[in-house]
Amino acid sequence: INSSSVHLGKQSKRGRLRRRSSFHFSWQRSHLRVTKLKPLTLRRTMYRTAAKHLLGGGGAFTSTRLLRFPKLRSTIIPSSYTSGLCTSSMGGNTESPMGNQSVNPNQSDHTAASSSSSSTSTGEGPRRNESRKPRAEFQEEQARVLSASLRHVPRLGWTEEAMMAGSRDVGVSPSIVGSFSRKEAALVEFFMDESLQLLMDRIDSGLDLQNLIPSARIAKLIRIRLEMQIPYMSKWPQALSIQAHPLNVATSFKQRAMLVDEIWHAVGDGASDLDWYVKRTILGGVYSTTEIYMLTDDSLEHRDTWAFLDDRVKDAFDLKKSIQEAKYFAEDIGAGVGKSVQGLMNGVMQTMSRRSGGSAF
Amino acid sequence: MALRSVSRRIGSRILNHRSFVASLHSHATSFGFQEIKEEDKSKLVGNVFTNVASSYDIMNDVMSGGLHRLWKERLVGKLSPFPGMKHLDVAGGTGDVAFRIYDAIYSVKRRALQKVDEASLEETQIYVCDINSNMLNVGKQRAAERGLRDNKSLVWVEGDAEALSFDDNSMDGYTIAFGIRNVTHIEKALAEAYRVLKRGGRFLCLELSHVEIPVFKNLYDLYSFQVIPNLGELIAGDRESYQYLVESVRRFPPQERFAAMIADAGFEKVEYENLVGGVVAIHSAIKL
Repeated sequence: INSSSVHLGKQSKRGRLRRRSSFHFSWQRSHLRVTKLKPLTLRRTMYRTAAKHLLGGGGAFTSTRLLRFPKLRSTIIPSSYTSGLCTSSMGGNTESPMGNQSVNPNQSDHTAASSSSSSTSTGEGPRRNESRKPRAEFQEEQARVLSASLRHVPRLGWTEEAMMAGSRDVGVSPSIVGSFSRKEAALVEFFMDESLQLLMDRIDSGLDLQNLIPSARIAKLIRIRLEMQIPYMSKWPQALSIQAHPLNVATSFKQRAMLVDEIWHAVGDGASDLDWYVKRTILGGVYSTTEIYMLTDDSLEHRDTWAFLDDRVKDAFDLKKSIQEAKYFAEDIGAGVGKSVQGLMNGVMQTMSRRSGGSAF
Repeated sequence: MALRSVSRRIGSRILNHRSFVASLHSHATSFGFQEIKEEDKSKLVGNVFTNVASSYDIMNDVMSGGLHRLWKERLVGKLSPFPGMKHLDVAGGTGDVAFRIYDAIYSVKRRALQKVDEASLEETQIYVCDINSNMLNVGKQRAAERGLRDNKSLVWVEGDAEALSFDDNSMDGYTIAFGIRNVTHIEKALAEAYRVLKRGGRFLCLELSHVEIPVFKNLYDLYSFQVIPNLGELIAGDRESYQYLVESVRRFPPQERFAAMIADAGFEKVEYENLVGGVVAIHSAIKL
């Protein structure tokens, strides 16, 4: 089983989403991932705890139990979740826990242990040997319908109508839309995942980043990503409001975090100190503000947006310098306590000469 | 802790396996807690419903304290009906679910909020199928009261859930509310459901089911066996029918067993949701 549907380590080598031959959509991934035996990276813990905090609260009157049916009928393993949120993430469940369970076809009970992890909920038809096939079918159908629905979004918005039109295109009854968890959110999340995948493809297929300074690289990557949204710009505010809905915040947060992480990795960021969180947050801010600016930009080819973007990236880098300045200054102050004023001034002089030129003061 | 849960799982699995085969066959030959011949079951059930038809709705209200309305709302909500859909409601004699689906599709609020193609509204067909003509008559009467007597969208059909008279791949949705425990052969009904549904069509089943929560289970049993038959006698004048009802609920396969049967019929994405701690369960699935 691939132990890394998402490698989110801070080391640069593992800083990017590794693509598999089959797609792993984040909207398919439940927050309940199978625990691996190897030590978790800090980032994975961060996402998991964030997701748990955000999703864990929904104690509900009803409870949904979701079943999966591996080869032998006797190993039906239920897991119970809170409703709403879980039926939501159940809609697409990752292959990794499934793989975990299909490895143990016998009535071995440590599969029960993984019932704390997610379980998918597809039925199996007449007993088949590959337990993966029926499960994959629903995911594939859903992906196909959502992909066809995107064509209708500019006209119908991110709505059930668009998805029903998409399902008709694929040749499936529109009822299937009723089974998508958090219907419109499924469509938006699918789009976000697809765009991220496209971005990664663009990066892989030789985008020329070497000749650019980091700030220009970042600007270029964000620009590529935002250009993917241009066809849907008229309905993008609706998508943003769907993403901001409390039920959907967790997934959209995770998707944006992955996007930002991907961009930093492509820029060549190898940092593994506390800077990492700050960097992601700042870039997230730059991306979001540009995205919102773009909503009301009427200029030719969105020129104003790209200018705005360049300004924000520059600000971010300046901010980085300012923070560093402040850090050094604080060190000096701290070191200066207990020394004489002379000693303190010497320290400050040293700091100022350390910087070559630019000053934040 | 882990060991306890593991052993509980082994225990339940062995128990389930042993009783699985037994209980499956026994559904066809059980009438509540009585053992009967298979051929007789549908006749006996038919008698029950002929007797209760006129007071069916009132009794539902009294027995469930009005909650059955909420359960049916939940069922229809899950279905997400859309204009132009072809829907089949089996064992829906008095039309509760069908009327709700009709309202959901034709509601003015929905039409105002979403772009609805009027032509597709015309195409909507809701078939109500029931084996018992008395129940259907009650339903038609209620339709007339709502002014839907001559409405083309609602079609009342007499038929058997195990042998439907509809074409293959013709329905977008299939619901059966509180009906599947009355069929003689559950697998046949499920197979028929699979047959008539289109690709992408949804199967939804609302049924009284098993409660596992310790104290609540005892209260529920008490209520079922002491209170309900007495209510039946008082209000409908028919103790035996309601005795059959509560016994048939106990005989019906529990949630997971039933879900396994649905999966065996060929459905995908089988899920169930317990309402009121398991008193009622909604099973849903998709045909792909």
